[in-house]
Amino acid sequence: MGNLPAPRLFTLQPGSGVPIYLQLMQQVRRMVASGQLTPGTELPSVREVATEYTVNPTTISKAYGLLENEGLLQRNRGKPMTIAATRPAGSLPQRLKQVEPQVEALVLAARQLELKASELCQFIEKKMEKNRE
Amino acid sequence: MNEAIVSTCGLGKTIGRKEILRDVTVEVAPGSIVGIIGKNGAGKTTLLEILLGFSPATSGSAQLFGHDSFTLPANIKGRIGFVPQQDDLVNLLTGRQQLDLIAALHGHWNAALIERLGQAWEVPLERGILNLSGGERQKLSTLAALGHDPQLLVLDEPVASLDPIARRRFLHEMIEITAERTRTVLFSTHIVSDLERVADQIWVLRDGAIVWSGPLDRLQESVVRLRISARTALPALLPLADCLSQRVSGARASAVVSGWSEQRRAQLSELLGAEVSVEPLGLEDIFVELHS
Repeated sequence: MGNLPAPRLFTLQPGSGVPIYLQLMQQVRRMVASGQLTPGTELPSVREVATEYTVNPTTISKAYGLLENEGLLQRNRGKPMTIAATRPAGSLPQRLKQVEPQVEALVLAARQLELKASELCQFIEKKMEKNRE
Repeated sequence: MNEAIVSTCGLGKTIGRKEILRDVTVEVAPGSIVGIIGKNGAGKTTLLEILLGFSPATSGSAQLFGHDSFTLPANIKGRIGFVPQQDDLVNLLTGRQQLDLIAALHGHWNAALIERLGQAWEVPLERGILNLSGGERQKLSTLAALGHDPQLLVLDEPVASLDPIARRRFLHEMIEITAERTRTVLFSTHIVSDLERVADQIWVLRDGAIVWSGPLDRLQESVVRLRISARTALPALLPLADCLSQRVSGARASAVVSGWSEQRRAQLSELLGAEVSVEPLGLEDIFVELHS
């Protein structure tokens, strides 16, 4: 028996309408960007993620495959996938593209709350400052 | 190697004057979990029955493992496990006696798997079947269909009488037994939230016809709600070829389309002189929209 199960790495919400592979890709990208997942870190296997979250393995392996194509993950023969050592930063438009869905949701919410773009930007700047410490 | 487990071509079924199924052309690759959704009477059960060879198609063809469904040889039948909507358990027996009886009919029986699942699903095997609840009968009948390690498992509304905990355990097991890609599952259900978890392929049946079939990921990316906002009034009817529903009110509109791809956004935005944002839809909403 022994070990307590490791805390869940991902938050997968099958009912959200966003395909699970996209949810997983976004979370891995963000965790890598924030330094929560560092180069060399092993990721759980497709099977482990599928059974732990009770989701179809195909969508998980699709996410891993696409992240590998992006150069974010490294496939290791007979061993778990790891976060790649050197990862391409990507051009500014590419990186902006990655946050587009979140920005769109934010813009929609801001409109409903009648927030001005300048007010929102100020708020975001403040948050980003704080995150940097 | 990679040949389809199930394939149909232009399959149709007419009983008397009633057309139950029409022009169903689908294919199932090994290792997939296919979820079939449709309203009551959409033809789900009839489709499964024809695939399994219980009744012949009126037109078109249906094949399992490359053999015509209606004339399946015994060795092919042995590769299939089926859980019907109405179970055919023997009320006079206990659960264990029923399983022993079925095990005796098969040359091979995975007793270890059945023992493990029986415990995980809390099936009271020593109790008389007559005294089992609907959910317990359903679980027992699933065990009966799994013991011979079928390569293809066909389930007609397998979770209808299970509570949420039992359903989740059942789904978990479905992922477990298909994880090696040696088993294929085909199941019909009304509970779309289960499909969102475990299915990788979805078939939407409407009035006997397949209105959508393909990967769940693609369904979720193709059927989306657009929020459109322009500076000036929008046309009363938006020029969207694949529109399932739309509402226009002055300079704002929302519409659900069925063939979305991100490349269309810029084009549409320019055409309407409007900002277009995309909202994903849950499978239940998609299902409702596909019936609008």
